Amino acid sequence: MPTRTFASPAELQAALGEQQYIANDEIATILYLSQQLGKPLLTEGPAGVGKTELAKALAGATGRELIRLQCYEGLDETKALYEWEYAKQLLYTQLLRDKLQETLAAAPNLAAAADRLAAEEDVFFSMRFLLQRPLLRAILSKEPTVLLIDEIDRADAEFEAFLLEVLSDFQVSVPEIGTLTAVHRPLVVLTSNNTRELSEALKRRCLYLFIDYPTVEQELAVVRLKVPELAPRLARQAVELVHRLRTMDLRKAPSISETLDWARALVALNARQLDPQTLETTLSVLLKHESDLQRVRREMGQVEPDGEPRPPRRPRPDDDEFTRYRRVN
Amino acid sequence: MEERIIQFISALRGGGVRVSLAESADAFKAIEELGIQDRERFKLALRATLIKDASDLATFEELFPLFFDATEAPPLLNLAQDLTPEEAAMLAEALRQFSRRLREMLEKLIRGEMLSQQELDQLGQMVGLNRATDLRQREWMARRMAQALRFREVQEALRQLMELLAQMGINKQRLEQIRQLLQANQEALMEQLRQHAGQRIAQNMAQRRPDQEIDELFNRPFNALSDQDMDRLRKEVRRLAALLRSRIALRQKRARTGQLDAKATIRANLKHGNVPIEIVHRDRTLKPKLVVICDISTSMRYCSELMLGLIYALQDQISKTHAFAFIDHLEYISPDFVGQEPNAAIAGVLARMPSGYYNTDLGFSLEQFSRNFLDTVDSRTTLIVVGDGRNNYNNPRLDIFSMLARRSHRTIWLNPESPLLWATGDSDMLKYAPLCDIILQVSTLAELTAAIDKMLVQR
Repeated sequence: MPTRTFASPAELQAALGEQQYIANDEIATILYLSQQLGKPLLTEGPAGVGKTELAKALAGATGRELIRLQCYEGLDETKALYEWEYAKQLLYTQLLRDKLQETLAAAPNLAAAADRLAAEEDVFFSMRFLLQRPLLRAILSKEPTVLLIDEIDRADAEFEAFLLEVLSDFQVSVPEIGTLTAVHRPLVVLTSNNTRELSEALKRRCLYLFIDYPTVEQELAVVRLKVPELAPRLARQAVELVHRLRTMDLRKAPSISETLDWARALVALNARQLDPQTLETTLSVLLKHESDLQRVRREMGQVEPDGEPRPPRRPRPDDDEFTRYRRVN
Repeated sequence: MEERIIQFISALRGGGVRVSLAESADAFKAIEELGIQDRERFKLALRATLIKDASDLATFEELFPLFFDATEAPPLLNLAQDLTPEEAAMLAEALRQFSRRLREMLEKLIRGEMLSQQELDQLGQMVGLNRATDLRQREWMARRMAQALRFREVQEALRQLMELLAQMGINKQRLEQIRQLLQANQEALMEQLRQHAGQRIAQNMAQRRPDQEIDELFNRPFNALSDQDMDRLRKEVRRLAALLRSRIALRQKRARTGQLDAKATIRANLKHGNVPIEIVHRDRTLKPKLVVICDISTSMRYCSELMLGLIYALQDQISKTHAFAFIDHLEYISPDFVGQEPNAAIAGVLARMPSGYYNTDLGFSLEQFSRNFLDTVDSRTTLIVVGDGRNNYNNPRLDIFSMLARRSHRTIWLNPESPLLWATGDSDMLKYAPLCDIILQVSTLAELTAAIDKMLVQR
């Protein structure tokens, strides 16, 4: 499939729509900017609003291959960039032993033999033995790619600093081979759940897009697109309920993907309306913490009889014993 | 237009948003791509390039309309034009009842005259608008300007005027029309004031040099900070934490090429028939375990608050933190930080344990600590006490403290007071001092940051 570039944000928006991703003007415009300026795009927002999905849709829309680098604590260059395939190198030296001996046999002395061996060294440190990890793959790919660096906030700060070098000029130097430069500049999307502050240097190099929970209408459109079997009236009710849940102070607010799961559950259960019975059985699809569940049940007017009263606050000890000396501390 | 954008960027900086030169250059490139015709796109171009933190979005949204929206207040309607001569005469008659000042104001309203730039500037000077550099003051400033224009009296006068006109026998429907019109005019004037206040504040923000001021705040002693200063420092905590983190990360990277780990090397090379192809080095950077005991009495509040803020922003560099707060008794506050922003959690704790006339008692708090939480201190723990050691002549419980110091890996005391004061008054600092491994004087945020940097080096 040929890759595409887009002439306007509207065109990009339409192409994303074809990938079943409903992008609002904001997303489309900033994504377009990122394509035009050749800058990585940093997307932030609550979990489950479709940040990763955006990168996938972008790959689909542009016809580029998606290369994904999932970040986690302890991720380092050998897992993200490249690694020498030691086992393979070792295997080759073993298998090629005879050939090596042949090469070295004619050498008059040790120094000459070492020279000859050095001349053949390149064989073992060539691209053949280089295990390409996502970053290097994105750089070396012959076809243009979309590089998704997922949940960058989970990686260590140290890795972030290393990523800076790669993202600014898309080249890496492998000491044994030399400098490898990108054939095509990949479109880079970084996502972050904002669990920690990213370094300013990284932010400076990126365009910034904050994706928040969608409005009722937008989310309804998503539900209609992905779960078309759900009756429209019920879909609206469901989405409105989810929005109400998001305004409550929950440990984990339901995400879009959970709304979709719930919509599918409603379809599977053949629900006709959101009655207490249906809610009771399906609410656990939306809420993943027991305390959240109880709280929502309580607020929806379904008080559980065995709801334990909260323990009383611990009294402050020795409240009346400090008459000896007082001061404004 | 370019100048306007540059002003806008300086205003953002004045509002505490950090915008680098590279980012403002990006903003111009982005605008070149998207043009300035479509307002929404123009806004997005600026936002995506200038704002890199969700918490700065609010400042952006507030400032943007002040710089780039058509700032004309809704036009006032001229009532005088469409009055019949008869009505005009009645109006003039009624107006004569008022004092000169009020009459002039009312006539202005009737003619639908806007305030001139000169008048606005004068009003601004009267209420001190030229010194305002915070958009939160906008409404208040507008209202003060309205007060200076005697809006309330004018409103009262308007009501009287309507009554007078009614007595003179003007058409009821017509009267209602006139009333609505004057009302609208007055609201429009208020809007004009609001606009002016906003623009003026934005201008002031653009002229302010933010960085010097914040640097100065970093070096200002805790006890000289105002609430406003604290607000700004709280915002800076996350950024400082990011700085600290990259410093720590770099140090760890350098430390990693340490000793050869023989066991791990053999294990890793089993697959190569024990030919040591992969060399494994000992990872010397154990993340520290912290137990933090913070004095949150009035004198120590800011220091402890910033300390907790920094520690919790750096959680990924620390393997475990147990935080405690005390005034007259001790509370375990780590649970407050679960699933909450550090700043919100700290605010919650401070609200739960309000400062006031308490008897600061570290001795009793230590006793509580050793009774209930002793298991949090082991030979890998760094024990940190944040306090001034002023114990209100209570028993300092040195026995417990020395036991804790022995149990822990290191004991660090952070004290905002200068050593010269340790022997004075109710300070027990000199008694605690020999038991600590390190005592750091932290009277400013800069010192606190340096202290934390030092603490996180594990040996």
